[in-house]
Amino acid sequence: MQAFERELLTLLPRLRRFARSLARDASDADDLCQLALERALKARDQWQAGTRLDAWMYRIIRNCWIDEVRARTRRGQTFVSEEAGSAVGDEGHERMERTLEMQDVGKAMLELPAEQREVIALVLVEGLAYREAADILEIPMGTLTSRLTRGRQALARKLEAA
Amino acid sequence: MMVDDDKLMAFADGELSGEEREEVARVLAERPDLRLRVEEQRRLRETLRSHYGPVATEEVPDRLLALLGAERVEAEHGATVMPLSAARERRKAWRFPALRNVAAMAATFAIGIVAGQASLDGQQGPLASQNGMLVAQGDLRDALETQLASAPPVHAEHRIGVTFADQQGQYCRTFEGSDVSGLACRANGDWSVVVAEGGTGTAGSPEYRQAGSSTIMEAAQARMADAPLDAEAERALVTAGWERQ
Repeated sequence: MQAFERELLTLLPRLRRFARSLARDASDADDLCQLALERALKARDQWQAGTRLDAWMYRIIRNCWIDEVRARTRRGQTFVSEEAGSAVGDEGHERMERTLEMQDVGKAMLELPAEQREVIALVLVEGLAYREAADILEIPMGTLTSRLTRGRQALARKLEAA
Repeated sequence: MMVDDDKLMAFADGELSGEEREEVARVLAERPDLRLRVEEQRRLRETLRSHYGPVATEEVPDRLLALLGAERVEAEHGATVMPLSAARERRKAWRFPALRNVAAMAATFAIGIVAGQASLDGQQGPLASQNGMLVAQGDLRDALETQLASAPPVHAEHRIGVTFADQQGQYCRTFEGSDVSGLACRANGDWSVVVAEGGTGTAGSPEYRQAGSSTIMEAAQARMADAPLDAEAERALVTAGWERQ
């Protein structure tokens, strides 16, 4: 196995997490990862050794996702998840509440416009600095911070109302 | 100074530096309402991270591993992931390629399972996997076992922060190092690392870069049964080899 693949392997847990915060469910997220990995392997010559592979991969995942969002929009499909919410069984009350809360977070993220969701995902979930996130998304810092502010406000509202 | 929402947000995200940060901190000291807003920002971030964080500790699907020429190997205590070639060579034992990788894989909230497997002998670095748990070894273990936060050795690789008893009566300590920082609790003679993230000198691992210490501190606060131990109680425990007094 070459160093490139080895490093991607190390990054995979984080890449899957990033994909999960963009895509509408776990299986879409792994499809997205697969697509991005295929693209990355094909374009490996474009990656410059010594530069940040994680940033490069985040960008590829994000671009794959945007392509998919646009394709869906063209097909007139909505991006709202069909959360079944059939979490019944002998779970304790507390666990149930937590499960509901978890679903709320995912749902609230899905309701955000794509441009806010990707900013929230990079900065708040992945923990990137503003500068790093702005570079990945190829947007100015001011645009990043305003999307971040609006995304945060919207999320806070949705989670309060939930 | 004008402190608007953008500035509060940047403060909460650790994006302000030096003078600007101090100025905001000064304003916050006098404005409980603004402190509350900063707290809300942090809480939202924690909510998001505890929602998505566990994804990074899930088993990676085989189809993704296969793309990278890796496969999952069933070891004695569970599954782990390795390159195909290495898998053929060593079916049973596997060493983490580098600490950096462990830190990257482990840099989520609770590390239950990074790799559950039996033999990691000869492994270097501060963290080892033992029965599916991350435990401290080497210098980090020594620091956790014997270092006094009030009097760290000058050239210590890892420095101890706070020491406290958790709700189960185990003793826990936060630690900071250039390779890894985190929170460890003592159980059955080992220091089990319950939160870990890239240390202060980790390049190329942006994960929880600035939020790092706050993540560790929040985890510590959540476990703390009472106030942190003072220097005297800490010294007594180190002397007694962590036996309850």
